[in-house]
Amino acid sequence: MSEAVKKDQPNVAVPTVTFTIDGQPVTVPKGTTVLQAAKDIGIHIPTFCWHPQLKSVGACRMCYVEVEKMPKLMVSCMLDAMDGMVVLTDSDQVRQGRRAVIEFILINHPLDCPTCDKGGECDLQNLTFAHGFDDSRYDFKKYRFKDEGMTSTYDDKKIGPEIMLNRNRCILCYKCVRSNKEAFGEYDLGAFERGNITQIDCVPGGEVNNPFSGNLVEICPVGALTNSDWRYKIRVWLTKTTPSVCNFTSSGTNIDFYKEDHQNKIFRVTSRTNDSIDNGWIPDITRYGYQIINSPDRLTTPLIKKDGKQAKASWDEAIAHIAKKYTEIKSSVGGVCIGGLISPSLDNKSLYSFSKMIRTVCKSNNIDFRGDYRMLPNNPSSPFGVLRSQPFSIAAIDDADVIVSFGSDLIHEHPNEYLRIRKAYNYTNPKIYSIMPYEVKSADVANIEYVYNPGTDECAINAICLAAIEENLVDANLAKEYLQKVVPSTLKDAVTLCGLEENNLKVLARSLAEGKNITFLVGEIVTRSKARDNIAAALLNMNKLFGISSKGQISILARYANSKGAEKLGLLPEPIAQIKDVLKKNFDHYPESEPRNTDDMMAHIRKEEIKGLFVVGSNPMMMYPDKEFIKESIEKLDFLVASDLFETETTEAADVVLPLAGWAEYDGDYINLEGVCQSAKQAVKPNGQSKPAYEIIRLIAEKLESKNFDSEMLDKEIVACLAVDTTIAFPIDFIDVKPETEEISDANTLPVFIIDDAHHSGHLTEKAPSLNNFAAEAYVMMSEELADKNDMKNGDSIRVESDMSKLILPVKISETLESEVLLVPRNFQSSPVTSLFMRKKRVDRVKISKVDK
Amino acid sequence: MILTEKSIAEIKEKAVHYPVKKSAILPALTVAYRQVGHVDEVIYKEISKIIDVPTLEIAEAATFYTMFPKKPRGKYLLQVCNNISCALRGSDSMIAHLENKLDIKLGETTEDNMFTLIGVECLGSCSTAPMIQVNLDYHENLDKKKVDSLIDELKAKKD
Amino acid sequence: MHYSPVITNAEIAAKDKDLHLFQYVEDPKQCEVETFVSRGGYKAWKAVLDGISKEDVIETVKKSGLRGRGGAGFPTGLKWSFVPKDSPKARYLVCNADESEPGTCKDRVIMERDPHAIIEGMAIASYAIDCHLMFIYIRGEFTHCIEKMETAMKEAYEKGHLGKNIYGSGYDLEMIVHTGGGAYICGEETALLNSIEGERGQSRMRPPFPAIEGLYACPTIVNNVESLAAVPHIINRGAEWYASIGTEKSKGSKLFSLSGHVNRPGNYEVPLGFNLKDMIYDPAYGGGMLDGKKLKGVIPGGASTPFLLPDMIDVALDYEALQEKDSMLGSGAIIVFNEDTCIVWVIKKLIHFFRHESCGKCTPCREGTGWLEQMINRIEAGQGQPGDLEKIEEVCGNILGRTICPLGDAAVMPIQSALRLYRDEWQYHIDHKECMVKSNFELK
Ligand SMILES: Cc1cc2nc3c(=O)[nH]c(=O)nc-3n(C[C@H](O)[C@H](O)[C@H](O)COP(=O)(O)O)c2cc1C
Ligand code: SF4
Ligand code: FES
Repeated sequence: MSEAVKKDQPNVAVPTVTFTIDGQPVTVPKGTTVLQAAKDIGIHIPTFCWHPQLKSVGACRMCYVEVEKMPKLMVSCMLDAMDGMVVLTDSDQVRQGRRAVIEFILINHPLDCPTCDKGGECDLQNLTFAHGFDDSRYDFKKYRFKDEGMTSTYDDKKIGPEIMLNRNRCILCYKCVRSNKEAFGEYDLGAFERGNITQIDCVPGGEVNNPFSGNLVEICPVGALTNSDWRYKIRVWLTKTTPSVCNFTSSGTNIDFYKEDHQNKIFRVTSRTNDSIDNGWIPDITRYGYQIINSPDRLTTPLIKKDGKQAKASWDEAIAHIAKKYTEIKSSVGGVCIGGLISPSLDNKSLYSFSKMIRTVCKSNNIDFRGDYRMLPNNPSSPFGVLRSQPFSIAAIDDADVIVSFGSDLIHEHPNEYLRIRKAYNYTNPKIYSIMPYEVKSADVANIEYVYNPGTDECAINAICLAAIEENLVDANLAKEYLQKVVPSTLKDAVTLCGLEENNLKVLARSLAEGKNITFLVGEIVTRSKARDNIAAALLNMNKLFGISSKGQISILARYANSKGAEKLGLLPEPIAQIKDVLKKNFDHYPESEPRNTDDMMAHIRKEEIKGLFVVGSNPMMMYPDKEFIKESIEKLDFLVASDLFETETTEAADVVLPLAGWAEYDGDYINLEGVCQSAKQAVKPNGQSKPAYEIIRLIAEKLESKNFDSEMLDKEIVACLAVDTTIAFPIDFIDVKPETEEISDANTLPVFIIDDAHHSGHLTEKAPSLNNFAAEAYVMMSEELADKNDMKNGDSIRVESDMSKLILPVKISETLESEVLLVPRNFQSSPVTSLFMRKKRVDRVKISKVDK
Repeated sequence: MILTEKSIAEIKEKAVHYPVKKSAILPALTVAYRQVGHVDEVIYKEISKIIDVPTLEIAEAATFYTMFPKKPRGKYLLQVCNNISCALRGSDSMIAHLENKLDIKLGETTEDNMFTLIGVECLGSCSTAPMIQVNLDYHENLDKKKVDSLIDELKAKKD
Repeated sequence: MHYSPVITNAEIAAKDKDLHLFQYVEDPKQCEVETFVSRGGYKAWKAVLDGISKEDVIETVKKSGLRGRGGAGFPTGLKWSFVPKDSPKARYLVCNADESEPGTCKDRVIMERDPHAIIEGMAIASYAIDCHLMFIYIRGEFTHCIEKMETAMKEAYEKGHLGKNIYGSGYDLEMIVHTGGGAYICGEETALLNSIEGERGQSRMRPPFPAIEGLYACPTIVNNVESLAAVPHIINRGAEWYASIGTEKSKGSKLFSLSGHVNRPGNYEVPLGFNLKDMIYDPAYGGGMLDGKKLKGVIPGGASTPFLLPDMIDVALDYEALQEKDSMLGSGAIIVFNEDTCIVWVIKKLIHFFRHESCGKCTPCREGTGWLEQMINRIEAGQGQPGDLEKIEEVCGNILGRTICPLGDAAVMPIQSALRLYRDEWQYHIDHKECMVKSNFELK
């Protein structure tokens, strides 16, 4: 309420009210609830159904206060503060009221706290001690929900891959159902029946398996909702928490690890609310992803390949072997024949050390952190680079009046930002638009969902600009300049190509022209496209035409936990100019050699110009969209060192394998997509003999006689990098943009896109059992219509064939898709879907056929 | 599909008048109930498709309301009001009489699947008590004779 | 389809210049639009569209003294005036025809026998608040009423009383007949709005009041069938005429549903202030106690209102007089019971109802009604324990005034009143483990 007032009238003083709570005077913006006002001055009012991120419903009646001149007790969560109110939060009447509520709640609530998993962190248990009766006056049998689905004597019932429900413990605060619908837009959990037999349950015939489902367990105030991850494994008071940040998404949502020291084990992750980033919600990948740390499959010792077989070795042997091989390569063909590929999910120090080693010890610019993208530009100030470098703020979404998401399957790529947009949708009601080459669920909050023909991304953007020009919504001179640069230059021709609808485009154009505070975010469709520079150029033109960046934000969002850090620390083959200057100062000597990105390195390996490759935390064999290309290259290598948490296809090919510590096993800093630097603290000791990457790099560098890797020195150099603003200025002029089309082969016509499964991210999450409970193998997702057309049903195994390879995959019918496209998740080692893709294609196409049983 | 073309058309006709899609849930359930005699999961899913509202919301609403049986029941649903005004006029004894006559207990269905007998809350027939609602029809100002002939008529009725 | 055999006092109403709601309810033709119009129907609606300003309509209804007939008795014109004049949002009018309070069956008679009167009243109210889409929410079990209202609505559209550019005035008005699914709580206005929205019929916290933020978060007025049916008459005959009926503060006429142990249970229209004793004993009305038994008590305003003892029934049926007797006019449902009635049994029926109908949203009502029902059942079954009555009183106290909507209050008020007025009988149940009277009402 108060936020909205502030927003509409930025320059007008917000009206306030002054009143007293327990004798203390308080002044708050008009529209603040008494509960919130009390919170602000540190007076705690107990609640069950209230949640800071949900609309209040006043159901539990726990938050009673007494207000002078009001005859009844009032619920403070729904009582707007008014001038001169005299509020009491701890009067006899209030205490009596609370006690009565607790008594009511307890009449049908089991009193078996010792057997309840929530014991020790149950709001009901705590509030009963604080406010309740000593003994029960209810002398009837408690109502007991029971049905076939219950799997234990405690009446627990599995309602989702991870969630267990005990309806007898439920106190009907409705927070789970409310957050699921309101905050997440999910419809798989509900309240059924009515009155005192009302019950929470999953949708009939379904299960609670949405990407945010873990939050329901976290906000349940009692032991009604629990997850198999944590339940009955340990008592909460035996654990300690360590603050950390998510390593699987790029927002760096804040989390706590719950660990037990004797077992050196993490037991769970919960949110650690940070309103500027996550509002206290975390997606399931963030919640359950930590399980990879505890995995029994972890690599625990170094391995050295002897006679074609990898065998256990000590760190000393491994490091010595690497140093020897690197020295050999360096002295025979030169350091530029060594390349490095690292994961952008690693911490600042690891990334920086890696760059420093490759550039100063190997003296090469063969370095990249983008092992999952094909055909990247080498020039950091290419249109793509410019747009990529633009600042972005998550909290600014709250204030936007127009929000556009372009080329992003938000829920899968940026779940946290999706929730933020949903919040705006619920509270400030901005205009929201989604533009994609296929339908996405995140468009459920969009006023209009635009679906353009695959491979016409730049044309779709141009069409928006042309719609604005046709409607005279932008400066005429700018329009004239713009029209000289684009092909096609009429709206009619543009829509013929991209397949969008003129009138809808005009609506969007108007919003962009009239919006006062625009958030325009660009996602993976662009980053992954071979035509990314052309699309980015179209976006830069659009930005210039509408002046988006001057009245809001426009950026291509970073995808991994520390992609921003990698850019800021100079991990691009050709670093951003400002950073390169710092690196030149940090390093004794900055190498002269040609910058080579992932593609170039692979190409040079094939030409036998690069002989050694050091891969840290990255798995190009599985993730790069052209498996064949990578495979052939890797096979050509003389010497491959690979470091990861697990055995991967890449480590399998390596001459030396080094066990890598996970982010929960050491202190590290990460820069989220906003450019905010956050720390993740060490929760447990590294598994086996695994080590953090920076430690491994230091050992190798020192063995190669470099003294420049001591911690203090690195820290100082990192600080110098981070102090630099890496935003690249927008180009002054419009840029030429022509459609980049390619021929479609007659055989394979169905466009196919790589996605991340909603419960997976990258290549590591496959080792988290809870996440596998949601999805454990690859599939091919298609619309119901397409499935019907091909006589395919959910779960049918079908053949997917591209020019490159063929795979057998089970069908998964999507509730959202309508277009004739296929989506394949890249997260499962057993079906490396990237083998279907070809490096030089803009849009990969396949055909599908049924497999005879 | 369980819902007939006619029911689907009727649901769609009702739905168009509302400013918000979800409002069509109750009208749709009513149409389904009148056609099928009860509502359940399968019907929620069908309705979900027709009015484009998540199945969950239809199930949540449907189970809140007690007028729609959630399971198949006998051909004639005998709904005896057993609230105060009817009770003062003998509805308890009417239930006992029906239990005897049909040889079932309250809540049960006769073996031939003809009758299901349930007790319901006030149906707004207080000044014409006691009463029974048979499927959609009210039968009011009842006495033993009328109850007997009502049941006999229903038994004799050929659809 | 069945035509309700309910007794009315239409004959009296037809002759009495003050009575207007029941004038024609014994004539089946009154349902037809032609007959309705020939008797002056839609005249007020036409007059309003011909040139009475919205403000004047509201003013007239305010002056008439009409108060809501749905139970709470809130002044109707005043409620209408709460709709914000400057809101850019749509406004809605909802006629509350949920009629589910035990004992109440009056709205049903108007729907079945004079449906156009409701449509006309709704139309005028819609105009007054500048609404262009109005709803009538009819309880789902009332199949017959639903059909009657739907037919009448169709006729009204066909004859141009509803639809676009009505009577050439430029005013558009659409109507939806929305039906419930069996939930008393959906008579409560905020639950009713949720129910129309397709939500579960749970009540909402107020404020915001529906007049500010109601259906689809837009300003909404909810009025009872009877309240709206009176409106055309007020427009036609003037506020002064209406205000002259009834008493000083309770103006106009009111429908009463008489049920229970009387000879002529039925629906009667009388001026407010009519004597309750006459209602029960006058041969034109209740016609005295059934089988000549002795009166034991009366529930004067529906299942949620406190009881009256036999020595309290010489009372005017109006808002104030009943309040003086610690009871309420409520929805005007008079339930009469005789000496053979066990008070604990009565309360058992009532608390079962309220427990069954609690929406389950707020704790005190959801849990409290269940607890009360179990305690009361136990006493009725002769297993009450010392201290039970005090416990019931405490639990009642923890529900009263502590809930989102008045259903919680409605559930406990009759219990509190029964404990106060018939204490001995409760005590006897507990002490003797059985009932003094043993209600056993045979089907005739
Ligand atoms: C539990 C409960 C049930 C109600 N049921 C009805 C009803 O069936 N019909 C009705 O008109 N009002 C009912 N009301 C009152 C409505 O909330 C509302 O006050 C009324 O419809 C307003 O119309 P009026 O001002 O014309 O009386 C009920 C209230 C409560 C608390
Ligand atoms: S399951 Fe938990 S969160 Fe959901 S309503 Fe019950 S108590 Fe609240
Ligand atoms: S917290 Fe206010 S009613 Fe639940």
